[in-house]
Formats: sequence, structure tokens, C-alpha cells
Amino acid sequence: MSHRSDTVHLPCGQMRGQGLGNQGTHTQPVEVMLHVKGTLEKHMVQLVAMRQQQDLVPEEQRRHQATGEQEALLDSLMYQLVNLLQSGAAGGLGLQPSCPSLDVRGVVGGGQRAQSSRWPDQPVHQRNDPEATFVSQHLSNRGIDISALFQASFQDYKLYQGDKYDEDKNTLGFINLGISENKLCLDLMTERLSQSDMNVIEDVLLQYPDWSGQPFLREEVARFLTYYCKAPARLDPENVVVLNGCCSVFSTLAMVLCDPGEAFLTPTPFYGGFAFSSHLYSKVELILVHLDSESTAAHPRLFQLTVDKLEQALLEATLTGKKVRGLILINPQNPLGDVYSRDSLKEYLEFAKRYSLHVIIDEIYMLSVFDESITFHSILSMESLPDPNRTHVIWGTSKDFGISGFRFGVLYTQNKKVASAVSSFGYLHGVSGIAQYKLYRLLRDREWIDRVYLPTYRSRLQRAHRYITKKLKALGISFLNRGSGLYVWINLKACLLRLWLSSVLRPSLLHRRFLDNKLILSRGKTYMCKEPGWFRVVFADKPLRLKQAMHRFYQVLETQKLELRVKQPESAQCE
Amino acid sequence: MFTLPQEESRAPAPCPSPASTQDLDSNYGDGLERERSRKPDWKLPELCDSTTMLSPDSSYLSSRGRVIKWFWDSAEEGYRTYHMDEYDEDKNPSGIINLGTSENKLCFDLLSRRLSQSDMLRVEPSLLQYPDWRGHPFLREEVARFLSFYCKSPAPLKPENVVVLNGCASLFSALATVLCEVGEAFLIPAPYYGAITQHVYLYGNVRLVCVYLDSEVTGLDTRPFQLTVEKLETALQRANSEGVKVKGLILINPHNPLGDIYSPGELRDYLEFAKRHELHVMVDEVYMLSVFEKSAAYRSVLSLEGLPDPQRTHVMWATSKDFGMSGLRFGTLYTENRDVATAVASLCRYHGLSGLVQYQMAQLLRDRDWINQVYLPENHARLKAAHSYVAGELRALGIPFLSRGAGFFIWVDLRKFLPEATFKEETLLWRRFLDNKVLLSCGKTFECKEPGWFRLVFSDKAHRLCLGMRRVRQVLEGISQVAEEPPSCQTEEPRSRHRET
Repeated sequence: MSHRSDTVHLPCGQMRGQGLGNQGTHTQPVEVMLHVKGTLEKHMVQLVAMRQQQDLVPEEQRRHQATGEQEALLDSLMYQLVNLLQSGAAGGLGLQPSCPSLDVRGVVGGGQRAQSSRWPDQPVHQRNDPEATFVSQHLSNRGIDISALFQASFQDYKLYQGDKYDEDKNTLGFINLGISENKLCLDLMTERLSQSDMNVIEDVLLQYPDWSGQPFLREEVARFLTYYCKAPARLDPENVVVLNGCCSVFSTLAMVLCDPGEAFLTPTPFYGGFAFSSHLYSKVELILVHLDSESTAAHPRLFQLTVDKLEQALLEATLTGKKVRGLILINPQNPLGDVYSRDSLKEYLEFAKRYSLHVIIDEIYMLSVFDESITFHSILSMESLPDPNRTHVIWGTSKDFGISGFRFGVLYTQNKKVASAVSSFGYLHGVSGIAQYKLYRLLRDREWIDRVYLPTYRSRLQRAHRYITKKLKALGISFLNRGSGLYVWINLKACLLRLWLSSVLRPSLLHRRFLDNKLILSRGKTYMCKEPGWFRVVFADKPLRLKQAMHRFYQVLETQKLELRVKQPESAQCE
Repeated sequence: MFTLPQEESRAPAPCPSPASTQDLDSNYGDGLERERSRKPDWKLPELCDSTTMLSPDSSYLSSRGRVIKWFWDSAEEGYRTYHMDEYDEDKNPSGIINLGTSENKLCFDLLSRRLSQSDMLRVEPSLLQYPDWRGHPFLREEVARFLSFYCKSPAPLKPENVVVLNGCASLFSALATVLCEVGEAFLIPAPYYGAITQHVYLYGNVRLVCVYLDSEVTGLDTRPFQLTVEKLETALQRANSEGVKVKGLILINPHNPLGDIYSPGELRDYLEFAKRHELHVMVDEVYMLSVFEKSAAYRSVLSLEGLPDPQRTHVMWATSKDFGMSGLRFGTLYTENRDVATAVASLCRYHGLSGLVQYQMAQLLRDRDWINQVYLPENHARLKAAHSYVAGELRALGIPFLSRGAGFFIWVDLRKFLPEATFKEETLLWRRFLDNKVLLSCGKTFECKEPGWFRLVFSDKAHRLCLGMRRVRQVLEGISQVAEEPPSCQTEEPRSRHRET
């Protein structure tokens, strides 16, 4: 009954299954160039039409969006060209297109269909797809944007879902070192969650809950945070709101603290999920505070956040008429792995207080500090917060307990207005009573957490970190050596293919190379890092997979190196 | 708390509010329905002068945050009252009995036994990791099979048309967001389940345009509160003339609060109407297995051969009502429109459901033997018994009501107990019930345009139900029926419409 055919219509008219490498249509670069020209023209026409449709969208946002789309499109076309040129120029040592299982419209098939097409990272904007133009009439403009943004942001994730590496069943599948998921302790968690105390079914768990969370769970969360955050006084269960994940917590906070078009300050590089969240529902803007990758005499630490930088970003934003409502901090930081000192924290909070800014602080990695010489200071451990009514803490079990599939996030705020406004979203972000009960049992089992879980988890993290940093060192790759989180922030600038591509396009090319080798890494752009060439590598995976992943990583870099040597003279002319 | 300005907003109202000007800080009835009911006189708060809504320490919140909080606060009073003083057989026998929240409390024994069986307790690494955001594939397959069977679809339904999220509230929110621009609207026949107003508004900023139905049977109508295409056309035209862009129609079938079941002919008429105007139709079938009267022939929209506009027809179902598990937060969308499914799935990151619970749901839905041989027969028998008890009580009191064979509630006509036909009096009566420790939902919560209708939930254990009904009786017997002779066409109709078997 469906009106959609299953055929995937690629923008260039390729048919499904015809990867670039094995089809004859585009073997001539001239032909490709003509095609690029045609596509760009068509694209421009569409952009004009889009502008006309979107009178409601603020000018700036529209431009931003249009630029993004253009960039994405160019990105793909250039990639196609580069590969073609290479297959000619570099001869045998060029990458043989390995045709990863990709589905351009993959969400449609739930990522289940494996098919080969040569457009790995193309954000599928449905408006680029002639066939989709008709179907998309069914969606609102924001519906189209939501779909497109999601597909663009979760492309890699989708690939991975459809074709996961498995040491027995699918050794050619994707290894995902891009998504920050803690896979080190699934054995412990599975065992703990299978114990009989977890399986209680009571009437109250099946009935409509208290939308800010079941009282028994909120009490346990308050006790848990009091203990692990080393709060000077007992935290109050009334200040706890439980929702289905930290993204939901962030999304609701953005809704109730900002009106559309208002902004949060965010030091970058910065966890991209929040950028995604702020666009989707709440239409909140992020003012990026770009941190430097160079160390200076004043700030020897790379990517150091200082109050000066915050002040300056705030000033600039205010001058352009932006209303800044808050500051978002992540501690331990994602993707840097930095842990803020108590003094730094206090400075940031004082800064926020001076300008009546809310501070949303995400402490989701608080138990994932594996370097014993580092002390993590939760904001809840402070004797007195500079502005308690504007300080809101987020935590969840996804990272620290490696159960991202549980969908559980917590807000702790002393501000009752904020807590109750967030609670009114409870039924849109509710957690199943059965899951709430299991979480309650888990969080209260302090003995297991302290004696079994945390020691094992941290030593496994340490070991994985040691392994990956050793490999990186051997490859001569520089990285930030921090002692927390599930990832290392690495610098691959030296490995970027120079060619005539713009600086923005080069990292995405490298990223695709990794994808071709069935390795998913996330690139700096995802974290709004202003300087191209940085990648985040997640190491919280089983040793075997990690080893296999590093092997693939090595292969890509080797190929890249060879090509660099071949290409260097040409690229010199182009730049 | 803020008070909204009393003057009518000039902008297009979602449901043009009746002339009554009531204190917005008071709560009406269904606050206990934890699916938060709306404020009776809700008029586009965000269009009101925001300064009037700004209480001193709310400056922490954005202006939309203040509106959102106002929703919460306004629903709070009745809910707080109930939760501070919940009835408990042993511990608090004089506590409040809740006949206001539409929850099925009759089958917890069956459910907890089933959910405790060993097949439910599986924990697997994949269930603990980030899921496919539209739902684990094994669950979507099971949902498709389940709906194919129970909706009697002419062809097997497809798992790729299924999106799983944490409840129908989230589904309304997501659909509103991806189908409408800010400020656009859905048509909805009123009375209706009032929480939908909030679901589509909170994130989506989408309004509802009411198609007001009345108790009087006029023209070609055969029953009170009958929905006709004519009424739909009129409401749509009116909205258009007021400059409100309507993008869809919401149907609830079986209906909440009326308990009505649409015939296949009616359904088709409504769908054809929607097709003519290129409207999306969201059919909320959350009570589809709670039709306890065998004579009531329920037809899911998914059972129709050849939907008029399949690309614009979106079906919602959940386990909250039919399996009495409102706390489980499981809801599902079925739509043939891939773009809609994809767009809704794009929001599922925010409306996800725990992997372990997804596994349990798949186990539950696939246990056709238990559902058919144990659960449904028992559930229907218990619902029917509870229904006939309450219906009998009402009849003994001489109270007219709509008696249908579906849902957990009876739509009761208490208009003759109001000294004046105003919502203020309706609220006073609601409060009298609450003061006498029984909680009902009043018509205003369902955007009913006639004051004096109440929804009474009967799906509760016998002892609580008896006590609740006794308290209802006490209140009503203490009231001299001021409107002894209300216009006959109004009270007689529902009475003559009893369809008990």
C-alpha cells in the first residue's frame, strides 16, 4: 500500500547497488564536473524556493541552514570527485571503494537494509531528492528540518546499527569508536540487573507515576548524589526530577529557561548532542566560545577555558543583540576529558552570577574519572554555590554505568520553579515504572557499586586508555592525555590530505576513509571545534574490538600517508 | 501563580472559550488524571501580555517556561489534594477515592503475575546499549503482528511502519511538531480527552480547534454528542475564516470520555472529509481492546479496506489502557507515510523507552494465548461487572448517562444538580465531591460546552467503587435538584439512550 518505492534515489541519479567504483557512467571527470554543475544549479534553485517557503524562520537561521546544506552537498560531490581522480592518478594504491553498507535513506529501513552506495556521509536533505519533494508535502517545514538534521547527525550511528561488528558473526562490521558508549562493563551490569531483587512488579509501578519521578527513586537519587558528589549537606529529593535521558533534561531546560532565539554560551569543542537538542525542539541558539588548541605562556593547557574568553564571547553576543540566558558546562568535559579544578569552577560560576546567567552543568561522566591523581569536584560538593537558583546539574546512568539503553537522566536544581516547569514535561519524557524500580535497586546497592563495579570499571578504563594511548604514541599522533571520560581527543591534522579541498572538507574526507574501513570516529566538526583535524576516539570497548579498530585506524593512516606523498606536488599548486 | 488577563485574546483561540470567566488558579476535576488535564479557560497564554504572568521570582524562567509552569500549577491542586489524602483500605479509609483518573485497576493481579514470569527477566547487553531510536526491531515486528491480528488488518502490517516511543502523549507531541508549523491547528471533536491540548502545545505550539458536539439530538443525529461530517465542515470553515490553518483531525476511537465507537461507515465519512481537505488524521485507538460489550462492534481504522488517504492516516495505540499499564510508558505509531515515521523517529531520542521494558513488551504482545484466553476474557468480564454496578447505581439515583460498551468510564449528566447552567456551578459541584472524598472529572476538562457533565471511571476494585459511589450518592442526595425540570430535549435524550443489555 505504500506509495514509496524502495528504490533509493540518489541525487545524481545513481541506482541503488551501483557504487561509484563499479559503474561506468562517471568514469570521465568531465562528465562528473558537468554533473556537479548541474546539481549545484538545481540546488541553488531549491535554495531560493526554500527561502520563499520559510518566512517564519529568522533570516540568520535560514542562512545558516542553507550554508550547511550547501556545504554538505559540496562535501559529497567533492568526495566523489576526489575518489575518481585518485583512482586514476594514484593507480593501484588508491583506495578501492569498499562499499560499506550504507543506506542513504537508511532511517526508512530502520538501518536494517544493507546496500551499497557511495554516499557515506551525505546528509540526506529530502528537499534535494526530487522524489521526496512530493512526499515531504506531508511534513511541516520544521518536520523536514528535524528529519534532515537527524539523518545528517546520526548517519554513522545508523550505519553502525545496521552492520555492527561481531567477533563471531560479523567480523567485517563497523566498529564504533565514535559514539560515547561504555561497553566495558556490560558483563557486570547484565549480571547485576539479572538478580532477583530487580524483578519486582507492583501496582504502583504500572500506574500513572509522579511525573517528576517515583518518590522512591528520587529519594535514592538524592542519597546517591549526596554521597558520590560529596555534598556538604544532604541533597533534597524534592530538587530531583527524573526523565528519560540527559538529552531530555537538557531539552526541557532549554525550553523553560530560553525563549526561541535566545542563547546559551558553550565552550567548544563541546558535546554535539546538546547542539542537536537545542535545535530540534527548543530552537535555542548556542554562542560558541572557541578554545585554542595552541598553548600559550599564559595558558599552557590546550583548550583552556578562561573567564576572559567567556566575558569576550558574552560581550560579542550582546553587541549583536543576542540575549544570552545561560552557560553550559560539561565536567568532566566531553570530548576533551578535562576535569575542572574547584577554583576554575568557582570562577565560571561567579562569572555567570555577575551576568545573571543560568549554569547548566552536565556531570554525566562524574564516576568515569580513572586517573587516580585527578580529583573530580562536583558542583554539588561546593559549600555554597554563588547562585544556587540558577545552577542546574544533569547526571545520568548512561555513561558511568554503561546503560545508555536504559534512558534515565536526572536534573538536580534548587530552583523550585525550574523543577516544576521541567516536571510538566514529565509525561513526554517519562520513564517506565519498571525501569525506575530497577534503577532504584541499582543506585542503592552502594556495596556492589563501591566494591565490585567501580573498581573493575576504572581499572578496565585505565587499561583501555593505556592501550590506546600507547598505540597513538607509536603512530606519532598527538592527543590530550586526560584521566577521565571514555575517549581521547586526538590531532590528525598532519594526516589530512591536502589536495585542493578547503580546510573544512579535508577532515570529512579523512572521516570517510575511516568509514570505508568500517571504523567510526567522530570528527571535530561534530563538537563545533573551530580547528579542523581533531577527532574523538572512544576507547571504552572490549580489548579485542579495540585492537581490531586500531588496526583499521592504522591502515587508513598508512594509505593516507602514501597518498600524501603522491599528492603533495599537485596540491601545492592548488592552494 | 499568575493570573491570565480576563479579557478575551484577540488572536485566534484554540477553542473559543465560553463566556464564563473563572478563576484560572482553581482546578477543575481531572487534575488527578496524571495525564495532566488542561485549564478550563485556557486561552493562548503566550499571546497574553507576559508581564501579567510574571510573578516576581519567576524571572528565572523564559516566557514560554512560565506558560509551561502555569500548566503544571493549574493542574496541581486537585492532584495534590488527592495525593495528600489517598484512600487506603487499611491505612486511610477516609481518604479520597479516585474515580477521576482513567486507569484500569481491575487486572493488576493478572498483569503482575504475567510480568513476573521468567521469560520477562532477560537482560542482554544489546538491551542496555543505545537502541534503534524508532524501537528495537524485535519489538516493532511484534507490534506489527499484534496490530495486524487485533485490528484485523486486511493485509499484514509492516514493522517498518511502526515507531515505538514512551507513550501516546509523546506521540501527540511529536506528530504535532512534524506535521504543523508553530501556531497551526488540529481539529478535534469536543468533549475530548483534555490532556491532548497540552501534549500538542508544550513542544509543538500547536492549537486545537474544537468541533463542539452537544447532547441534544437534532437533525439526522441518532445519538447525543454525535460527530457528523457537517459539524466537521462547519468547524473547519470557521477556523479558516478566522485565519487558523488546520493541518489535521484527531479522532479518539473508542471515544474518551463518551465511550462512543464509530461505525465503519462513520469512520470512512470522517476520513473522506479529511481527504477532501488534505488533513492528516490521527486516530487514537488506545481503548481498542477495552470494548467489553460484545454487541458493540468495534472496527479499527487499520481494518478498513483501502484507506481514503493512507499517507495522511496515522494510528496510535499503547498498552496504558488496554493492558492497564499507564506507568509503563509504551506507545506506538503506525503510519504508512515513511516521511512522517522518519520525522517522528528523529525525535525519539527524547521519547525513548528502556530496552529492558521493550523486551518485556515484545514478550507480552507475542503471548497471544495468554492475551486471548486469560487476560482479555477476564478483563472484559471485570469491566462489564463494574460497569453494570455503576450503571445500576446511577439508574437508582435517576441520573441520566451515556451507556456505551467501551472504555473505563461513564459520561454522566448531572446538569439537574446545578442551580445555574454555568461552569462555575459545575466546579462547585466538583468540589463538593472532592470535599466528600471522591474525585470525578468534570466536563469542562474535556472542553464540553454544556456545564454539568461528569466523567466517572468505574474500572476500580469493587470495594473502592462501592465506597466511591456511596460518596457520590451522599453528595447528590444532599443537593436539592434546583433545575427540577430542565429542558426536556436535553435530559431525556441521554436517558432514552441507555443501551444496557
